[in-house]
Amino acid sequence: MKTVIKTSELSKVYTNTAVPVHALKNVNLEFKEGEFTAIVGPSGSGKTTFLNVIGGLDKPTEGHVVIDDVDIATMKESQLFDFRLRHIGFVFQAYNLIPVLTAMENVSFIMLLQKKEKKEMQRRAKEMLEQVGLSDKLDVRPSQLSGGQQQRVAVARALASKPDFVLADEPTANLDTESAFNLLDIMLRLNREENITLIFSTHDQRVIEKARRVITLVDGAVDKDEYFERN
Amino acid sequence: MKTLLTLAWRNLWRKKRRTFITVSSVMFAVVLAIVLMSMVNGMKQQMIDSIISNISGHLQIQDVLYHDEPTMDHAMEYGKEVQDAVAAHDEFIEYTVPRIEGFCLASKELSTRGVYLMGVLPEKEDRMNNLLSRLKEGRMFTAEDDFVVIARGVANQLNLSVGDTIVLLGQGFQGMTAAGTYQVGGILEFPLPEQNNTLVYMPLQEAQHFFAAPGRLNSLILMLSDVSMADHLAGSIQEELDDEWYTLKTWEELMPDKVAAFEARDAQVRVFAWVLYIVAGFGIFGTIITMMYERLREFGILLSIGLKRSQLAGICMLETLFISIIGVIAGVFVGFPIVYWFYANPIQLADDLAEVMIDFGLEPFMSFSIASDIFVYQVLTIFIIALVVGLYPVRKLFRLDMISAARK
Repeated sequence: MKTVIKTSELSKVYTNTAVPVHALKNVNLEFKEGEFTAIVGPSGSGKTTFLNVIGGLDKPTEGHVVIDDVDIATMKESQLFDFRLRHIGFVFQAYNLIPVLTAMENVSFIMLLQKKEKKEMQRRAKEMLEQVGLSDKLDVRPSQLSGGQQQRVAVARALASKPDFVLADEPTANLDTESAFNLLDIMLRLNREENITLIFSTHDQRVIEKARRVITLVDGAVDKDEYFERN
Repeated sequence: MKTLLTLAWRNLWRKKRRTFITVSSVMFAVVLAIVLMSMVNGMKQQMIDSIISNISGHLQIQDVLYHDEPTMDHAMEYGKEVQDAVAAHDEFIEYTVPRIEGFCLASKELSTRGVYLMGVLPEKEDRMNNLLSRLKEGRMFTAEDDFVVIARGVANQLNLSVGDTIVLLGQGFQGMTAAGTYQVGGILEFPLPEQNNTLVYMPLQEAQHFFAAPGRLNSLILMLSDVSMADHLAGSIQEELDDEWYTLKTWEELMPDKVAAFEARDAQVRVFAWVLYIVAGFGIFGTIITMMYERLREFGILLSIGLKRSQLAGICMLETLFISIIGVIAGVFVGFPIVYWFYANPIQLADDLAEVMIDFGLEPFMSFSIASDIFVYQVLTIFIIALVVGLYPVRKLFRLDMISAARK
């Protein structure tokens, strides 16, 4: 399988604190196409920092992040904006939809920034909203949707532009059990059907139990990297 | 671009009440500024019209030295050159008013006063400043007569009545003595004391004879059909005249003290208007700052998913412009009918204020202007303020740490 992301000797030190914080220490990982990976670990273990660095939101202090044969650690901010837009999908803990846009417009938004053709964009947005079970909510604004529905729109948004991989930072943390399972089922199905690489940071046991690969970070370093057979 | 416009427009109405209050503050500032500017410009125009019709006209052709040294020696020759130059532009010139004028001593028996003698064509003068309406006793001379009409103050000081004789003594052209006795044919009344106590009118030809300056004028006043052409026309006529002998003066050049007074007053009004603009500007600024800080997390997310900083800054700038444009349009829509009503129905002044206006030779009305530049000025000013105010969020966005913003 094709390697989507490869990190080598990845380190991140925050120096703007009283004492320097080593958030990541020499992390060497590879993520293959179509993997469904959970990054787990206690609070402060570096999960979010890891996602931020491989997502091009933050720069590593040392090391490399190679995506599609490009080391994004050396990119300028303006190049990273474009790179994120074209290669990476994001799902955040607090849904983070644009409140003044409808579900359909939210899902289309990234494709719009990518300047995709209008008809294709609308077709794909509709398709994604159908996939996440919200075909009857196309013209509804986020404030009229439940938390679970908003997060499903966020997933549709992240996947609609067919990114190389999707980073999800604790996507089920704010959801009730039913909504969380519902969301996980959708993401697993999309992972299988669209062969999209999904990487989660999570504390949520429900997510961990569904992941085929679980990486445990402790104090910024990889403690365990385990593979599981799941249905 | 359409998406950015849509986002900015919808963001504006997230909190309708707040946007409404901000737009209202801009609107009221614009309305107040329009009414203020309209009133001030209207009264200024009233005064300028009065100066132009009573004193200077729109343009004057003079001897090149007359303005700096207004003596009879600098009376210009009113010959073919001047007449041809004027005739060549007659499509822009409504009419001309020739004048020869100078200080004289006037006496009757043992009383002597300094007066200002004006040699005029009565029908031209009347067309310019309604001179005949000032006539209270006797009759006005024709161009061929040889008597004078005097202002009421002169008549009182010298104890003159219609039918009496006045002796005039002055300095004529090139050292000649100007002297003569004239019958008083009529008495005029002027609102301004300096006019009422000094003016003596004489037929133009008789005055030229009196000053020993036949065929000469101190000034040829040009009244234009389109005032805005004055500067252009001055240059154009000047090209036809020998600039060694003749010069064209606009009313602003002839009345520099009045222009300075208007400029001082304009500056005061601008200060007051800018206070209004600054209040409106802070209103917009407050709203924009609040809108920005309450959406920092959203900004962080938008940047994370691929929106460029410049696009986000564009959205914020558009929001500022939308508020300003709506406020300005609303202000013009409310302000225009108000000033138009006052333009069509000037406020009639009463009591002391009316007397002051009459004393200054003005009608006792407060006039308003509906000149388009008043409205254009408001639009441009608020637009510039909006751009300046809008720079703050732009600057902030270009420095925003998207990770910490997204975590807020």
